[in-house]
Amino acid sequence: MTRYFFAMTIKTVLPPSVLFLFLLLAFASCNKERERRGHALEYWSSNNGGEIQFAKWAVDGWNSARPEDRVKYQPVPEGQSSEEIILAAVVGKTTPDIYSNIWQGTVEFYSNAGILVALDTLEGFMDFIQQRCDSVTIGEITSGDGHIYQAPWKINPIMTIFNKRIFAEMGLDSPPQTYSAYLEAAKRFKIDTDGNGYVDQWFGNTSFKLAWYQRLFNFYPLYLAASGGMPLIKDNRAHFNNEYAIGAFRFLQELYRENYFSKQEESAGQDLFVAEKYATKWTGPWEIQYLERFKREGFEYSFYPMPVPDGHEGPIYTYCDPKSFVIFNTCQDPQLAFEFIKSMVGEEGDLKFLQTTNQLPRRKGMDSIPGFQAFFAENPQLQVFAEQARHVRGVDNCEVLTEVFDIISQEYEACVLYQIKTPEVAIADAERAVNVLLRVKE
Amino acid sequence: MEYVGLDNFFRLFQDRLFWKAILNTLLFLLVHIPLQIVVALALAYFLTQKIFIRGFFRASFFLPVVISGVVVTILWQQLYGLESGLINRILISLGLGRVEWLTNWRVAMTSIAIMATWKNVGLYVILFLVGLQTVPTSYYEAADVEGATAWQKFRYITLPAINPTIFMVVILSTIGGFSLFIEPYIMTGGGPLNSTLSAMLYIYKQAFEYYHMGYSATLGLFFALLIMVVVVVQKYTIEKEDI
Repeated sequence: MTRYFFAMTIKTVLPPSVLFLFLLLAFASCNKERERRGHALEYWSSNNGGEIQFAKWAVDGWNSARPEDRVKYQPVPEGQSSEEIILAAVVGKTTPDIYSNIWQGTVEFYSNAGILVALDTLEGFMDFIQQRCDSVTIGEITSGDGHIYQAPWKINPIMTIFNKRIFAEMGLDSPPQTYSAYLEAAKRFKIDTDGNGYVDQWFGNTSFKLAWYQRLFNFYPLYLAASGGMPLIKDNRAHFNNEYAIGAFRFLQELYRENYFSKQEESAGQDLFVAEKYATKWTGPWEIQYLERFKREGFEYSFYPMPVPDGHEGPIYTYCDPKSFVIFNTCQDPQLAFEFIKSMVGEEGDLKFLQTTNQLPRRKGMDSIPGFQAFFAENPQLQVFAEQARHVRGVDNCEVLTEVFDIISQEYEACVLYQIKTPEVAIADAERAVNVLLRVKE
Repeated sequence: MEYVGLDNFFRLFQDRLFWKAILNTLLFLLVHIPLQIVVALALAYFLTQKIFIRGFFRASFFLPVVISGVVVTILWQQLYGLESGLINRILISLGLGRVEWLTNWRVAMTSIAIMATWKNVGLYVILFLVGLQTVPTSYYEAADVEGATAWQKFRYITLPAINPTIFMVVILSTIGGFSLFIEPYIMTGGGPLNSTLSAMLYIYKQAFEYYHMGYSATLGLFFALLIMVVVVVQKYTIEKEDI
């Protein structure tokens, strides 16, 4: 009898209980979502250690100063790239209110998709941006529709790092700044040390990979350096079929053809610059922290601007890998979100950012701000980048910039790496393909 | 978002890079499938013999199948390294020239096919082992009485008897080969000169690098139909009646 009663109880009580629990969980999830949207701004930063530390400092400061306008913080979830994560969040309508690590080149794509808040419509934004950035930077971040959807945050200018001992032994009093000086030094440095018939010491190295973004760290900074910072795209047309792009391709082609640059990708844990098999490479300020951690004792290095064509005059520009703040249109209080951003990137915030991340804030006259002087005096390697920051460019405002770089990358491979096209033909082919692409997008 | 009708299909037929990717995938299959069958059959035949620690060899050949594809690919990338890769170091120490395994457009796809064969062959060894063990020994005894050579026994008894297994291996290899993605994505990015750009990699690039979701869905649909056609053709050309 007891067993029968127990069985009947299970039979009658279990299904509704399971249903109740399911509904409870479902509604609990909905409730959590509503609470998040109603009460706190959500902020995502990049997920590297220094930036997490900085973001926590900024959020804690804001939350203690304005407990009624709390900000919830988390690093961008792990994924292959932050762009993929953001895209997934856009599709799932789970974007944060504020995101601080968006690459300048993707902002036009997102703004055209209508998922970003036009920051210039917010009170005080134009004053803020004019105080922080020069007119060239403001022009660079202004979208095709005349609005501004991003607040420039940080940069990592690309420069040439060199091994000081190797340069001294080669008798190089000053770094080889021009193409011909660089090639001459490369010719002298290339050697087969173990006598097996193959070169195993090269003057430099840059990624051999086809991926479009790799061109941001070799061809593009060379093009900007040679051209004085000219755009790739202007008036919705390819603007790079010129002596500067052709010269950069020719220079790179010779580096590979003459075996001055290695064709091998370094494996994980391998660093041929630290092993002194490469004398130079093109890199950003992130290299400083890395080298200070992994270099052997006595290893000395320094940085100088990207090589330029012989006879180059004027400042030497480079690519600065710019990242910005954006506010997604899922944000219910964009003005408050902007106030939070502003609180992060004041002079105090930027100094803290420098100290915790060794990356540079994107603000004008950075190397002459009195509050930053002590930091740069203690970090002379970063001072070089701060000086270079006067002459940097980001990327053009173009919705299909990824594809533009992919086209250039295809021609780079054919011309520079495999020498099956002349620089003139490769650049002309890239120009033609980019113009077709831009017409299709019109 | 806008409705584009059949535009993506028209674009597909004019997309030279997509057809190049299809051709690359077919070239990969051309190397990969025969190599896979020959190696798997040879290893399976070897493992049916009474050899020392046979169980160990059976497990060893299967091991790469259960290792993550990404891990295997990264390991082989190191092996194929131009300057410091183990394979080239051995070649140089033997007095042979080094090979640009992944940086020569004529060689890169073959290098990937060799790696993919190494990774997957264990699974097909197991299938062939099962197939070989189902061939009645009485057939071989009768052939021995008739004075058949080893080759004749293999050609006229073994091969027809394991035809269903061969068919299954070809189908599975074909479908697996068409989904070639991890290896070129990690090792070469589709280069050099697009020689290892597989159809799957191209579809991925359209979707997640250029964010052309609609077009990549069209490519995916077309590609699925193509696989179906190839498999049906294989079914009618390979599958035969049992002996």
